Amino acid sequence: MNLSAIRIIAQKELTDSSRDRRAMYALVFSTLVGPLLIGFMLNQIAGQEKAAHEIKVPVVGAQYSPLLINWLKQQPGVEVVTGPADPEAAVRDRKSDFVVVVEKDFAEKFRDTRPAPVQLYSDSTRQNTRAKVRRIRSLLNRFNSEIAGLRLIARGVSPSIASALKLEEVEVSNAAQRAATIFNIIPMFLILAAFSTGMQIATDSTAGERERGSLEPLLLNPVPRWQLVTGKWLAATLAALAGMVITLVITAKVLSSLPLEDLGVRYHLGQHEILLLVLTIAPIAMMAPAIQMYLACFAKSFKEAQSYMGFLVFAVTIPGVLSSFYPINNQPWLHPIPILGQYAASMDILAGKPPSMVGMIVSAAASVAMVGLFLGLATKLLSAEKIIFGR
Amino acid sequence: MIQAENLRKSFGTVYAVNGVSFTAPDGVVTGLLGPNGAGKTTSLRMVYGLMRPDSGTIRVDDCDVVADPVGAQRKLGVLSDMSGLYPRLTSREHIRYFGQLQGVPADELEKRMEKLIEIIDLKSIADRRAGGFSHGERTKVALARALVHNPQNILLDEPTNGLDVMSTRAVREVIRHLKSENRCVVFSSHVMQEVSALCDRIVVIARGRVVAEGSAGELIELSGKTTLEDAFVVLAGPQGEAE
Repeated sequence: MNLSAIRIIAQKELTDSSRDRRAMYALVFSTLVGPLLIGFMLNQIAGQEKAAHEIKVPVVGAQYSPLLINWLKQQPGVEVVTGPADPEAAVRDRKSDFVVVVEKDFAEKFRDTRPAPVQLYSDSTRQNTRAKVRRIRSLLNRFNSEIAGLRLIARGVSPSIASALKLEEVEVSNAAQRAATIFNIIPMFLILAAFSTGMQIATDSTAGERERGSLEPLLLNPVPRWQLVTGKWLAATLAALAGMVITLVITAKVLSSLPLEDLGVRYHLGQHEILLLVLTIAPIAMMAPAIQMYLACFAKSFKEAQSYMGFLVFAVTIPGVLSSFYPINNQPWLHPIPILGQYAASMDILAGKPPSMVGMIVSAAASVAMVGLFLGLATKLLSAEKIIFGR
Repeated sequence: MIQAENLRKSFGTVYAVNGVSFTAPDGVVTGLLGPNGAGKTTSLRMVYGLMRPDSGTIRVDDCDVVADPVGAQRKLGVLSDMSGLYPRLTSREHIRYFGQLQGVPADELEKRMEKLIEIIDLKSIADRRAGGFSHGERTKVALARALVHNPQNILLDEPTNGLDVMSTRAVREVIRHLKSENRCVVFSSHVMQEVSALCDRIVVIARGRVVAEGSAGELIELSGKTTLEDAFVVLAGPQGEAE
């Protein structure tokens, strides 16, 4: 059997598509948007964490207590700056996140070992400054207990007498967890990239051919329909694979430029994980164009086809959205379900668990079966007189 | 040579073609003449194997189209009713693509392509993308890609429809050239002048049937009129049905 027609058709579709500016913009957009969004969100979390560790402390009346100021300056990540003239207004107007005010009689009261007055201005309704306010409060508390301890030692008393409790706070909702939820959407963006980059060729080579009236002359060539369909599918699949791999590589690059260790993230995206993810999601990149081509065969124009594709993309994102509410645990019954199976396996790979070989093979086989089914259906459609001549 | 016998094709309850038979020998330009909606295009679609007749037989040379449409398509060059191009491919790329799909060997394909560019007068647009082509230019490119595999039998469905004078002349030239190479050319049109200028034999189709057949002179004689146009009105008009 002569199969060179498949290659000729795939080559033509790829050349044609590479000259399509709209297709190229779509490729760039769909491969960039996911990684950049993930990077942006992780960066936000890292930024908030870092902001709490490296704080600027605006102090009014620093001259009244060089001791406190010097102690603050010695703490890691703390920078003392001159505070605003009107601390209350500055915090209310959001010019300052918080302000520390040392009162005039601080030195005198401190010398007399009476409580020395310090005011901390903050706005508890502001979510994004809470971490910083918490930090400065704990710094001031530490200064308080250190000085108190020294005073007790000077009087021959153990400082532990003054501590009835040893309180250790364990924060459960931490940055690492928030970062982990963001990692969970990486598989969704990979699957979306496969769907969106193959789509241009899948629709242009079916609905587009009908719209231009080029389908009839094409079908007049002595090439079996299934080879025609396979050639077009091959071109779309190569584009989808490229889109997926580019998305993955950009994601890895973005992640490697972020201080993930500081967030306590245990996810890792190295070469090994990239390879495993490509193997896991490749069947999706094969399946997506087949489904898209089948659907697009019904459409009389490129635009009509694209409106069908919208629904498809929406359906694809459902597992991704659901997983951020209900974590998907990799269970055997998920494997044969296309997209869900790959989704669960991708989460395992990202979490550093070795994926189940049997599961991957079952997932891949199910998706490849879908390819066969939809290419068969598309072949049937492209032989139907209603599709060939209906305009 | 193309032989169609008793072709029938219905869409729903309406017969678009209801008993069309004709023979188109080699070295002859056969014209299918008929008003719009007479069944010319449907008849041709059955001949080139993209539409299956409800009944009847079609042979292209020694190939049965209904049984082996792909085999018949190797022997056919078709300029169909819809002959859209790919806006991002050049004329050369269009011709090459179809040549490759027809299985023309690479070196022969390049030679054949240059010859077609010469005959059909495509030189000025050979390496331009089809996106901005005029209707005439598009038709010429479509014609070139239909002839790239050197088919013995050529089907042209209203090839000069909507073309300007220059393009019409170019298409006519190509048809004469094909005839001189002893090929079988079938040409459909509803334009009298086209048919009378080019065709050796005319098959008049109306209401899905062949109503008359012969040379232009024979048709005029048959109708008892003095011009082909009058003959056509008599043969294809409503009176024809009453007979």
